[in-house]
Amino acid sequence: MIELSHLTKVYGDTAVVNDVNMEIEAGTITVIVGTSGSGKSTLLRMVNRLVEPTEGRVFLEGNDVSTMPPHELRRSIGYAIQNHGLFPHWTVARNIATVPMLLGWDRRKVEARVEELMELFQLDHAQFANRYPHELSGGQQQRVGVARAMAAKPALLLMDEPFGALDPIIRSKAQSDLKAIQRRTGTTILLVTHDMAEAVHLGDRIAVMDAGLLKQYAPAADILARPADAFVDDLIGSADRPFRYLTLGKVRAAVEPGDAEGAPLAADASLYEGLGELLWSGRDAAPVIDTAGAPLGRISLESIAERAARPK
Amino acid sequence: MTTLANAETSRAATSRIDRFGVVIAAFLIGALALPFATLRATRIASGTGLQLFDALPATTMVAVLAVLAATIGAALASRRPAVRLALGALALAALALAAGAAGAHLMPADNPYARVAPASGFWVALFGAAMLVTDASVRLKLGPAGRIVALVVTATLIVGLFASGAWSHLSIVAEYRNRADVFWRETINHVILAAGSLAAAIAVGLPLGILAYEIKAVRDPLINVLNVVQTIPSMALFGILIAPLGWIAMNVPGAHALGIRGIGMAPAFLALFLYSLLPMVANTVVGLNGVSRAVVDAARGMGLTGRQRLFQVEMPLALPVLLTGIRIALVQNIGLATVAALIGGGGFGVFLFQGLGQTATDLILLGALPPVALAFAAAVVLDAIIEISGRGKA
Amino acid sequence: MKRRMIRTGTVLRLLVFAALLAFLLAPDRFAGLLTPLTNNGAPAIYNQGTLLDLTLSHLVTVGLSTVAAAIVAIGLAIFVTRPAGAEFLALSRAIVNIGQTFPPVAVLALSVPIMGFGEGPTRVALFLYGLLPIFENTLVGLSTLPPAVVETASAMGMTGRQRLLKVELPLAMPLIVEGIRLSTVIGLATATIGSTVAAKGLGEVIVAGLLSNNLAFIVQGGVITGVLAVLISDGFEALAHRMAKRRGASSEARQSDPDGQRSGA
Repeated sequence: MIELSHLTKVYGDTAVVNDVNMEIEAGTITVIVGTSGSGKSTLLRMVNRLVEPTEGRVFLEGNDVSTMPPHELRRSIGYAIQNHGLFPHWTVARNIATVPMLLGWDRRKVEARVEELMELFQLDHAQFANRYPHELSGGQQQRVGVARAMAAKPALLLMDEPFGALDPIIRSKAQSDLKAIQRRTGTTILLVTHDMAEAVHLGDRIAVMDAGLLKQYAPAADILARPADAFVDDLIGSADRPFRYLTLGKVRAAVEPGDAEGAPLAADASLYEGLGELLWSGRDAAPVIDTAGAPLGRISLESIAERAARPK
Repeated sequence: MTTLANAETSRAATSRIDRFGVVIAAFLIGALALPFATLRATRIASGTGLQLFDALPATTMVAVLAVLAATIGAALASRRPAVRLALGALALAALALAAGAAGAHLMPADNPYARVAPASGFWVALFGAAMLVTDASVRLKLGPAGRIVALVVTATLIVGLFASGAWSHLSIVAEYRNRADVFWRETINHVILAAGSLAAAIAVGLPLGILAYEIKAVRDPLINVLNVVQTIPSMALFGILIAPLGWIAMNVPGAHALGIRGIGMAPAFLALFLYSLLPMVANTVVGLNGVSRAVVDAARGMGLTGRQRLFQVEMPLALPVLLTGIRIALVQNIGLATVAALIGGGGFGVFLFQGLGQTATDLILLGALPPVALAFAAAVVLDAIIEISGRGKA
Repeated sequence: MKRRMIRTGTVLRLLVFAALLAFLLAPDRFAGLLTPLTNNGAPAIYNQGTLLDLTLSHLVTVGLSTVAAAIVAIGLAIFVTRPAGAEFLALSRAIVNIGQTFPPVAVLALSVPIMGFGEGPTRVALFLYGLLPIFENTLVGLSTLPPAVVETASAMGMTGRQRLLKVELPLAMPLIVEGIRLSTVIGLATATIGSTVAAKGLGEVIVAGLLSNNLAFIVQGGVITGVLAVLISDGFEALAHRMAKRRGASSEARQSDPDGQRSGA
């Protein structure tokens, strides 16, 4: 759906982005991860032409973006950033309505869309629609920022460190919410972060960048299992690797027949959560139940440990 | 910010012509079409404008034209600030000398009452060259010391030209010659009014500012009152103060002996003092408030007393903002002191308002140019001091 | 507590305004107050034209030139902050800095030889000097917008014009209004001095008082111009304050700028 071809951006003598080639599948979340100065934000900003590439092209559904007028291109792409960039002189509702209004949507359609989005992002319409951004908490501002980015139902959403300004508890909820919303809407998301945990948590595929180069571009599990080089390895952190890997698997996948004592685990919980529960309660195994509460079998420390080992 | 940065990169890529240079060139070429000097039979008669060709002896005219042509060339063809600065400065010097030369050339031997003054062409060219010099200096990013040196050099050149007699045939100098001793007396009056009232405002405003910073209840009312004072037009305030000061002079024993009068310097001095209080108090408060909380906390944590904290930490860090207050007040006072002449307070305004009364342009210039130059010099010097005092404190 | 203070302030302003209006409409009723300031049976109330007329022409002079100055200054500030005018940005900053060291009274006096006496030089001086604070404040307002906000405006697909009209100008508005306030205050003061070059205005009363040694004239002229300036300045301040407050910007916009200056008239 998106194709980046030989994309390069040179500032002065340095190539901030150096000959990057990527293909991004529609309907997925792709996370670009890297340290600061790796060129990940510049790469993202070349997609909606906030930065013009020095060389190379970006294709959206097969169309070269450099042939479209920038403002029309940008209206078709959602964009959310760390400091949310909400317009301080507009109410929450007016902020969310920005792009639909620019596109000249019918007034009633805009209002309906704003209500729909506020509901989707758990913002009470009656309470918040007419507030100004400075009257909201950080988490609420961030949700309004994402809602605004998705207002005109863009097929593609670009996000630059969207959760960077949030404290850890709100951040992890925001990540889960985003993932759930993405699954419902099928929006393609290209997200930039410096946080490998966030990348593994959200990304269907992960692109690792360093010094302008694309080091590795693969599904999350592959990145963890087979880091392409020392840099990627370092970014994952060798001590954290097995645990990161476990966050990708579900308890359901490690269920074995049999029974166990104590409180049951949900089949949809991650293996990481399962391991934590077993270690903390001092058990070797726990029963597993599905969403309806029916018993499915048991999960053991041993079966989790097997799945935390480097794949052969 | 992003937009400007983008704009500059895209501009550098697309445009080869420097439109600023074109504007300057247009000014200088336009100036050549306007009269360079005016000749009048008496100081208040209306004059005849003379083109550059008629106003100067042939050789001087050619030299001035050559310099102006080179400057136009530099504005159009060279983007290097150093080249532009050099030629702009050369053009300014050439214009200054040419004005004097025009005076000597045009002044009729048989009519001592005739007056020669630079005309619109001179002023337009001067403005164009000054813009070129300003733009080049901004681009060269002259440091504070460099700016002061430039100011001193310019001032020395002007005084030198003046003393050498190169300008002695110009009408403004003739006006000066006729009242040289009065001019210097009023200069001193002007400086006393502007700087003296500022000194008093510093002496009162600093403690008041510190008080307003320490005691929150004092701050808003005090600043509000000073804001109101600052808003009152100078002529109104001068006028309003005449009544109470007059009453004091009449009724308080000894007040008259101290020089307190309803009319004259006293109300002007008092008004300027009141006007300068706002910048002093407000900037003291803003400066002290601007000192980082962490630094103040650290000072407190290390056991500095309130007084030690104020004098060793807070005041030194607030210094650039305090100096900015002084700069604002001084520049403002130099301008306002000009108005004091209306109530008999003296200063350069004496010549300015006399000139207006007699419709004598040269006398108006004699009253208007010195405060402009003085305010400009004060701003350059204080800006340099502020920049030096702010180093390493940002 | 704060609200009550604001309310007392408003009541006070309304009272002062009512008193000013009463004085302008029926000055003779107040003659008794001013008579003690006169000598030798001189008139207590200015009699060479009604005070109301003078006040109105004073306000018209200042209003016209400030509106003209605002249009030109805001236009220029927009121009130098767009890509097309970027090369004039540094120079225009320098010119404004230098220009503000020029005393307004000097600008007024210097325009007399060019414009002759009357309203002309006053309007020109008010216009020229009025440009500076408005240009400076608009420039500061437009160039210190939060980068995240400006960038998102582009990223949402606003064209340059939409971004300017919908985002940049509205956000810079409190500072622009503050600039207009400064221009108006300086304008009111300079227009007073304009009476010395025969512009019709309230300065006339003060000048007449100074010439005829009539303290009553000086005081009434001074008080009317002073009160007028304070009330108008307050009005602008309240407007800027309200605009800044709604968007949660620091409500201290007017006090927060230690470089703010007025080399008054």
